[in-house]
Amino acid sequence: MMENKILEVRDLEVKFPVKSKLFSPKEEKFKTVIDKVSFSIVEGETFGIVGETGSGKSTIAKTLVGINYPSGGEIYLLGRKINFNRKSDLIFLRKNVGIIFQDPVGSLNPKLRIFDIILEGLNFEEKYTKEEKKSKVLEIAKKVGLNESKLYSYPSELSGGEKQRVSLARAIISPKKILILDEPTSSLDVSIQAQILNLLQNLKKELNLTYIFITHDFNVIKYMCDRLGVLYYGRMLEISEVKDAYENPLHPYTKDLMNANITIEGTSGFESELEMGEPERNGCIYLNSCRFKMDVCRSDPPLIQLNARYVKCWLYEESRREEYAKVNRGT
Amino acid sequence: MINLPRDISSEKNLNDLILEVKNLRVSIETIDKRVEVLRGVDLKLKRGEVTAIVGESGSGKTTLAQAIIGVLDTPPVFIESGEIFFEGVKIFPQKERINFRGQGINMVFQEPLVSLNPVYTIRKQLEESIEVQGLHMKKKEIEEELKKILSDLMIRDAERVLNSYPHQLSGGMRQRVAIAMSMIQKPKLLILDEPTTGLDLLVQRKIIQLLLKLRSEFGTTLLIITHDLAVAANMADRMYVMYAGKIVESGTKEQVIRNPLHPYSKMLRDSVPSGYKDSGPLRVTEGNPPDISNLPSGCPFHPRCPVAMDICRKEEPSRKIVEDREVLCWLYDGK
Repeated sequence: MMENKILEVRDLEVKFPVKSKLFSPKEEKFKTVIDKVSFSIVEGETFGIVGETGSGKSTIAKTLVGINYPSGGEIYLLGRKINFNRKSDLIFLRKNVGIIFQDPVGSLNPKLRIFDIILEGLNFEEKYTKEEKKSKVLEIAKKVGLNESKLYSYPSELSGGEKQRVSLARAIISPKKILILDEPTSSLDVSIQAQILNLLQNLKKELNLTYIFITHDFNVIKYMCDRLGVLYYGRMLEISEVKDAYENPLHPYTKDLMNANITIEGTSGFESELEMGEPERNGCIYLNSCRFKMDVCRSDPPLIQLNARYVKCWLYEESRREEYAKVNRGT
Repeated sequence: MINLPRDISSEKNLNDLILEVKNLRVSIETIDKRVEVLRGVDLKLKRGEVTAIVGESGSGKTTLAQAIIGVLDTPPVFIESGEIFFEGVKIFPQKERINFRGQGINMVFQEPLVSLNPVYTIRKQLEESIEVQGLHMKKKEIEEELKKILSDLMIRDAERVLNSYPHQLSGGMRQRVAIAMSMIQKPKLLILDEPTTGLDLLVQRKIIQLLLKLRSEFGTTLLIITHDLAVAANMADRMYVMYAGKIVESGTKEQVIRNPLHPYSKMLRDSVPSGYKDSGPLRVTEGNPPDISNLPSGCPFHPRCPVAMDICRKEEPSRKIVEDREVLCWLYDGK
């Protein structure tokens, strides 16, 4: 495949310091939130990241715009390696990657008018005059379907859907290559969600954007994305084309998720009972919940490549594929 | 206080109505005016059925549930008119308070962190809901009862859960504890306000499985209030669609999902993405849910309705019966 890799993440690691106990203040402890995650994003695609609460979806998003700094691994944007300690690199990152957060209330300054909030997105650009900036804001407001009369109100006067449109306008007013959408619709009503999803699809075509779409809603991922990565407690367990992941999931966790997904078509697979265990830190992270566990799973599996798919599971190691085929026939 | 007769249900036909709401009107008093939140709601729940009320925020779903169980914030919220019958007994309006909560109707609220007491352990709170039944059980029996209900709810490490405080548990676990608390009293009707909202997929599925199991094992009637059509489609036998304080359509699940009559139900169904990326844009019109304090003239849905006619802007439609289903839309006038 000679497609253009716009973003490449290699062995990304993010650690947060854990508050030390009262009587041992010198001992510094870290909690690994993102554990050696690798993926790459092709120009023009929509890459979905799915995972449960606490799986690290938002941490990845924040790291990719330089809000969190990684403690290990490499990030390449447009072929340039990002050094998080160098200011010019961070500016380069933020100029090319935009982000929209889940909570539209918390991400808009309540004391600014909508016009000024959208204008914040041009802070990096110094070349425009006041008039040009104003016309840019009007133009972008039209693009995201925001009524001009709303530009002079405060965020509290807007509905959830309108607030999300404002966030979107602010993120794309200066041209971006990649837009990270961190649960952009999960606080919205379904009909408003549908409006925003349609808008996102149109904007992507119009502005040649690449999306990283983060959500826990499987119907939305299916509808929006080309490929998806499945995250579980900070580890990427599978990366596949969306169609493959839905019709033939590889990792046992993905299988469980697809089985549990409910659609308006009705009950899919309610027959099997799920056992959910705690994540296993020393070994395969899904060990305690897995239906196919083997002895070898006590050690952490590598990321195995199968054609264009990646899966972090011992079942797909060369020597075990036959074994797996047997298990699969049995179910 | 009047107590309801305890085993009224056993002699009755299983298809009878457990709850009936007639023309319920609820309004909120604001500084300058009264805003109607429920504008004449009728609801009939059959014994043993799962009924779902779907609608977007501000449609009055939660207010309806609160009015049924009688926990409206009065003032500023008032029931203007209407009647509520539970097992044939009028529970509203009544001069004397009727003891229907607990063993009659119970409710699980949307945010379990708010409905659990933060300073008591889960054990203490669950014990309390056994004690209020006045059965005078011994300590050991209570303990056994608790263990049993927790294992029914697929909580495996019961001991840890019982000894923790609400903030120490995950969202899914808190929700299960809240369900456990209301199930302990074996209510005949359980109202669940957004039981799976904000929970992870696997937990959501577990809760759905569990609720359906409660229905099949204890014959509990469930009333589920949700904005998620997929949850309703997977649980309910019967669905009511609410918009701006009125029920705009009712019918069996199959009827409402497969063949919605009201344009709003159609839009709700089409808003849920179901296909892959190349399946085309979602069919939804622009516009926001209505502001209940300032409803548009005529049918409140007409500004967003793709098939609005002249009459829709002028007059509010009355209830029409189409093929044994009820729908509130001018499209079905005279049919």
